[in-house]
Amino acid sequence: MGAVMVAILLAAAAAGLLSTVLASVLILAERVLVNYGPCTIDINDGARRLEVTGGETLLASLKSQGIFIPSACGGRGTCAYCKLKVPQGAGPVAPTELPLLTPEEVAAGIRISCQVKVRNDLSVLVPEELFAVKEYRGVVERIRDLTHDIKELRIRLVEPKEIEFKAGQYVQLEAPAYGDNPEPVYRAYSMSSVPEERDAIELIVRLVPGGICTTWVFTMLGEGDEVTFSGPYGHFGLSDSDRDMVWVAGGSGMAPFWSMVRQLRDTGCNRRCTYFFGAVTARDMFLLTELRELEKELDWFTFVPALSEPTPGDEWDGETGLITEVLERHVDDGSELEAYLCGSPGMIRAAGEVLRRKGITSDRTFYDEFA
Amino acid sequence: MKLSPAESRVVERMASGVLCRDGFLAGDPRPLPEILDTDASEVARLNLSHEQLAERLAKLLDVAMEGMGATVEVGGGLRVRYAESMGRIPCPWGGCGVFAKGEVEVIGPDGTVRGRFTPLSVHLIGRHGFYQGRGSRYRMEPASLAGLIGLEAAGQ
Repeated sequence: MGAVMVAILLAAAAAGLLSTVLASVLILAERVLVNYGPCTIDINDGARRLEVTGGETLLASLKSQGIFIPSACGGRGTCAYCKLKVPQGAGPVAPTELPLLTPEEVAAGIRISCQVKVRNDLSVLVPEELFAVKEYRGVVERIRDLTHDIKELRIRLVEPKEIEFKAGQYVQLEAPAYGDNPEPVYRAYSMSSVPEERDAIELIVRLVPGGICTTWVFTMLGEGDEVTFSGPYGHFGLSDSDRDMVWVAGGSGMAPFWSMVRQLRDTGCNRRCTYFFGAVTARDMFLLTELRELEKELDWFTFVPALSEPTPGDEWDGETGLITEVLERHVDDGSELEAYLCGSPGMIRAAGEVLRRKGITSDRTFYDEFA
Repeated sequence: MKLSPAESRVVERMASGVLCRDGFLAGDPRPLPEILDTDASEVARLNLSHEQLAERLAKLLDVAMEGMGATVEVGGGLRVRYAESMGRIPCPWGGCGVFAKGEVEVIGPDGTVRGRFTPLSVHLIGRHGFYQGRGSRYRMEPASLAGLIGLEAAGQ
């Protein structure tokens, strides 16, 4: 009996070893022996045509030609941010893509571009705004503690030397490989600086427990260090209407509004704006002095900071309660207002419900979720 | 212990630096199937199911998220607080979608943190019976978790 068991175990081990060897040979063969030759990537129905060497992923091939598709995981097929419609030439959907796509997306030809290999000519649809995205190198000029777990980074651009963006847009900051993290990762941060200042950007970064990028920012990144980022991305920003506005944010959701209010100050504004900013205690509140100064300076701007759990030591004489409760108290008739929200999905959902009850319809509500 | 190719892919994604800085296994030297089996046995011994534990955690998560960063009483002297974070994280098993990165702290009557979990933790327990490796920030021993749930249930 024992001999039979040993034989079975040995056979199973041999089979496992054989399959591992075969898989390795296949991977090696594809890398070394298979030459897909030059391939053409047709972008947006002939609007652009790229000649690339086959064998790379679609995401990498586009990046090599200066087209940057948002991706947080660096091409490891886990974040699903790099979805693109690939009408022709991508081949069957890979097993690594299926978990990240809905059946509707599969039916529509949506693919995870970091998991699609360019093996032949293919066509792809790329959102127009991504053609303006570039990769930038910069130097960290200043790191400022805004709270115990939020830092402001100021990055002076090195190459290219200038960036064009709209207040509300974001960049993807690259955290290089470090420690146990074998590959770079990319994380999105809204720019908190004003767009008119083209040779530098500022970001507001909140520490995520266990976060790869934020841990790097908080423990390893220093002033004078070189960093890489790509951008600008995103559609969040002020509409062209002349409606009065309600802004709502919490935590690092401050970033787009800190950019917007100073841009409006510099360019002129004929819309009244009330900015509700929520924090838990005084130690979580930041840019308070600066925003109160702006409130004094700008007759169209009202700043309403609120603490949900002020401590006795906070000596807080401002609004208290959840930001939704503060909105309930301050917003009467929202039928002519626009709302802009930036923060966690829970905050956006809860605040959005309050604002809708006040008459701000969903088509006049714009939000930038922490997603 | 020989892992299947599918299990190997899951373990690769659980490694530190792949989906999160510290990974899901921390320093736990046990193979993934052993971690799953041991915790499943413990849950069975408690006469509970992974789904029951996850369902209660999901309720705590909902209550905590409504607090938007403030602490919320949940009974039994416990309070919960949800700390939001930017971004989403996928399940290491794949095919389960992505989850908000924030974390819930469960705070005891004495003000100490009795446990931490994330939206992904709730999914990992309910769907995969995975309580994370020992040493992980979000490791929840099934018996401790059941204790917390009992306190939460007693206060409802």
